[in-house]
Amino acid sequence: MALPSNHFRSSVGSKVVMALSGLGLVIYVILHMLGNLQVFQGSHAFNGYAVFLRDMPILLWTARIGLLSLAAFHIVLAIQLTLRNRHARPVAYAVREYRQASFSSRTMAASGFVLLFFIIFHLFHLTADMIDPSSVDRLDVEGHRDVYGKLVHAFQNPFIMALYLAGQLGLGLHLNHAVTSSLQTLGFEYVAFNRLFKAAGPTVALVVVLGNVAIILAVFLGIVHG
Amino acid sequence: MMKLDSKIPPGPLETKWDRRRFSEKLVSPNNKRKITVIVVGTGLAGASAASTLGQLGYQVECFCFQDSPRRAHSIAAQGGINAAKNYQDDGDSVGRLFYDTIKGGDFRSREANVYRLAQVSTQIIDQCVALGIPFAREYGGQLANRSFGGVQVSRTFYCRGQTGQQLLLGAYSALCWQVEQGQVTMRPRTEMLDLVMVDGQARGIVVRDLVTGRVSIHTAHAVVLATGGYSNVYYLSTNASGSNVTATYRAWKQGAAFANPCFTQIHPTAIPPGDASQAKLTLMSESLRNDGRLWVPKMARDHRPPEDIPAAERDYFLERRYPRFGNLAPRDIASRAVKAVCDEDRGVGPGGYGVYLDFADVVAQQGFDVVRERYGNLFDMYQRITGEDACHAPMRIYPAPHYTMGGLWVDYNLMSTIPGLFVIGEANFADHGANRLGASSLMQGLADGYFILPYTIGHYLATAKLISIDEDHRESRAALQRVTSRVSRLLNVRGRRTAASFHREVGRLLWNHCGMSRNEEGLKSTLTSIPALREEFWRNVMVPGLGEAFNQELEYAGRVADYLEFAELLCHDALHREESCGAHFREEYQTAEGEPQRDDSRFAHVAVWEYREGTSPILHKEPLAFEFVQPTTRSYQ
Amino acid sequence: MKFTLNIWRQKGPDERGRLVTYEARDVSSGMSFLEMLDSVNQGLIAKGEEPVAFEQDCREGICGSCSLVINGIPHGPDRGITTCQLYMRRFPDGAVITIEPWRARAFPIIKDLVVDRRALDRIMQAGGYISVHTGGAVDGNVLLISKDQAETAMDAAACIGCGACVAACKNASPALFVGAKVSHLALLPQGKPERTSRVKAMLEAVDREGFGSCGNQNECEAVCPKRISVRFIATLNREYLWSGVVESGLPAEPESPHAESA
Repeated sequence: MALPSNHFRSSVGSKVVMALSGLGLVIYVILHMLGNLQVFQGSHAFNGYAVFLRDMPILLWTARIGLLSLAAFHIVLAIQLTLRNRHARPVAYAVREYRQASFSSRTMAASGFVLLFFIIFHLFHLTADMIDPSSVDRLDVEGHRDVYGKLVHAFQNPFIMALYLAGQLGLGLHLNHAVTSSLQTLGFEYVAFNRLFKAAGPTVALVVVLGNVAIILAVFLGIVHG
Repeated sequence: MMKLDSKIPPGPLETKWDRRRFSEKLVSPNNKRKITVIVVGTGLAGASAASTLGQLGYQVECFCFQDSPRRAHSIAAQGGINAAKNYQDDGDSVGRLFYDTIKGGDFRSREANVYRLAQVSTQIIDQCVALGIPFAREYGGQLANRSFGGVQVSRTFYCRGQTGQQLLLGAYSALCWQVEQGQVTMRPRTEMLDLVMVDGQARGIVVRDLVTGRVSIHTAHAVVLATGGYSNVYYLSTNASGSNVTATYRAWKQGAAFANPCFTQIHPTAIPPGDASQAKLTLMSESLRNDGRLWVPKMARDHRPPEDIPAAERDYFLERRYPRFGNLAPRDIASRAVKAVCDEDRGVGPGGYGVYLDFADVVAQQGFDVVRERYGNLFDMYQRITGEDACHAPMRIYPAPHYTMGGLWVDYNLMSTIPGLFVIGEANFADHGANRLGASSLMQGLADGYFILPYTIGHYLATAKLISIDEDHRESRAALQRVTSRVSRLLNVRGRRTAASFHREVGRLLWNHCGMSRNEEGLKSTLTSIPALREEFWRNVMVPGLGEAFNQELEYAGRVADYLEFAELLCHDALHREESCGAHFREEYQTAEGEPQRDDSRFAHVAVWEYREGTSPILHKEPLAFEFVQPTTRSYQ
Repeated sequence: MKFTLNIWRQKGPDERGRLVTYEARDVSSGMSFLEMLDSVNQGLIAKGEEPVAFEQDCREGICGSCSLVINGIPHGPDRGITTCQLYMRRFPDGAVITIEPWRARAFPIIKDLVVDRRALDRIMQAGGYISVHTGGAVDGNVLLISKDQAETAMDAAACIGCGACVAACKNASPALFVGAKVSHLALLPQGKPERTSRVKAMLEAVDREGFGSCGNQNECEAVCPKRISVRFIATLNREYLWSGVVESGLPAEPESPHAESA
């Protein structure tokens, strides 16, 4: 079943690719959150998890490149479609009232931008260690890299914590519309399940954001400490 | 001198159409490509004809004044479409549909035409199903039927309350297919303003592009008019505000005879007019009369609210006058009864134009929820328009002009008295006689467009001698000149009254004197008032804006100008027909009980009117011979 | 009643438009919105001014002609109706009402509140039909269609093509219009033979006409006078995806050019 490539150059085709790449990223975000919840099990478990990931460099880099390309597809198509959409209404309404469109659905571009900048910041901050000079790459007692200590150190800083919370706001808003919207774009529609599809977006957004925020606040409030 | 040849094939009724189809000459496929046919109007008849002619290989140019062919007023038909399928096995047949239709028309239509209509009705349903029209279905997957318009069999096919919409969208989709195939050129937002006649044949039309205002000529080998009816001559009607008489009236002035213009159907259950600003009457489904009871106070000028009027002081006038049919009496009879009580000053609501349609009894018997479930959407519609809740107080209804049985005269082949000018759908006079039954107009429009015209026009095109012409032909230029001079005349009056005020006035005159009941005195006085009004129009109308531009007021003023002439023709016909039949009720011709009195010895004919410049129209008669059915008295008492 | 109207006036497609303020006096609560505009126009004509151009025809909510954005919502404040079914009792006396045309690149303004919606017809011409010749159709009862299927197809087919979905959409997308048509025909057995080519052709036409793409915000559903459900947009997307997988007309040529002797 070869999919003709020009099938995906149409606007609906582009949206399908956006939905698929977006859903790929959503799965990653969920796994990322679940993995990081191990911070509540203490430094041993958490650093062990980091070692587990680093021990599979091929998988790790494949995943990283995969994620980057998914994000790239998603962003490029988003820009393309947004430009096309702006073009479709050259003169704006003088008075505009929305009846049903949710706030998050109307701010996808904005929340997407917030998310993009947050991810770049996050990568420079915790993956590449290029933001916080006071952060040090130490080894823990077992001789593993002390990722746990780095995380705790980072979120004790109120400025960093606030930035991460803002990022979660962007993420939550984006996911709230994105997941349900993607299912619609992929043609998931069946009377018995339509309520489930509708609930998917807010549910995923809530779970991911709650998980992530729990980690950030737990550190800041000293529940999780070094 | 006009010659009326109905061209009905002789011989047995059942095989007339088959024999005609066999004897018709055909156009060879090669030649079809070189033939252009103009179709004006894209309702059921126009869209189905244009699409079918395109499929046959003709080059079709199709015109409508709306922004899209899908908006023609066929779209508003609610009830359904009849067909003699006998799927219910309840005794229906082609013969019975034929008889019901011809009797419903009060024996003022042609046997041969009506029989053919009943014959092709079954094909229409098959064709519509093939086009993907989502007709209502039974649980087993078969097509569902309902009984409609007071007939004794269930032969009406329907799509909820939107049958006209679905049938039109089906014909429109077929039209879209032919546009895509390059066979049909669609020209929306153009209005036909005149007919081009060359050597006595219809060879084209003059249209005004409603966006740019440009007037242009389109020539062809034949012209098909599918431009609907003229109920809007009454100003207030259930028709769309754009529906108009201009195309058929202009054709009449070029020599096409007009038949039975006085046969205009007034539908009993519309929402009554509110104030003077009202521009439209909204139809409520006739089904309301299944459960609602019509009444007015017994006392004249009784202004008490309905709940304060005790049962003994109410007059359930339909049940009183027609005990056998009661509230379900046919449209023309119910409408006249409503008018009669309103004329006695017993009408209710603003201006006394209305009677109560009361659901209190059925609510008491079956409960509020049952009634709500059955008529909920109609109650909502009523509440939106009037602001009143019909669950708690009775509805008010009043008759409204709805459909016109009269139209351009056509022969059995649907050709008018002008060779090459074919007229289909409501625009012609053919099949409904003096009164149309419910669910029959959709049937006739599609029968003409899909199955009859495409055959008969071929014979004309194969046999007529047609010279080649273009826009520069002398006759084309003359037609163009007629249109442009009329447009500039309208713009140059620069008077003080709006076109709408004239329209309202002529509509009021007709409604009062040539509406549900007519009499000699009223008609004669109207015939003297109309020319005076017309004279004032051309002296005092105000049409702002330019001719070569988008100008809705100019379009409208042109249509009103035609109503002001056409109204006279309507009155002449009503005056000539000294009998009461179907929708035409002459007060002088009624029984002692107030029932209509038909006069078959003097008026079993089609009244066919010829235009003659400067004088009154000239009457010709096409006698109606009944070989196969015996005219009887329609009695519903 | 009395109202202040801010109405979009624009002389032609290439002219600049602006909101002009008019007073509507002596309006009765039983007037329809369009009759109220009629009365404003009658006043303008009597003064020799050009009336406000707007579209209307059937005035009973089925032809799809009327097309006004009233205070920022296509077809005005009530749900499930067209502009012509809106009555003045819906507004408080003295209200300020802003009236604008449908706004989309694919719907260029002709004059004032009148826009050119032929783009919707062209989408239909691209494939919104079943290619079946007149005559020769089999008996209507040969095709058995379940009641549910027929009802769902009818839900989709109820679209009146007014274009409110485009007007309401942030992206000016006609997804609901196209979804309704594609679903109607895809749900019925008669529509199956052309199922894949139809959806592709219609969506190509959508892109060609310069419409935007669906953002799944469902604003279209909220303003649709016939309450067409956005589930038909999902059906549209599914049909499109499917059409990429299943080609309706795979070439069935012999592998070897010599397989058939001349």
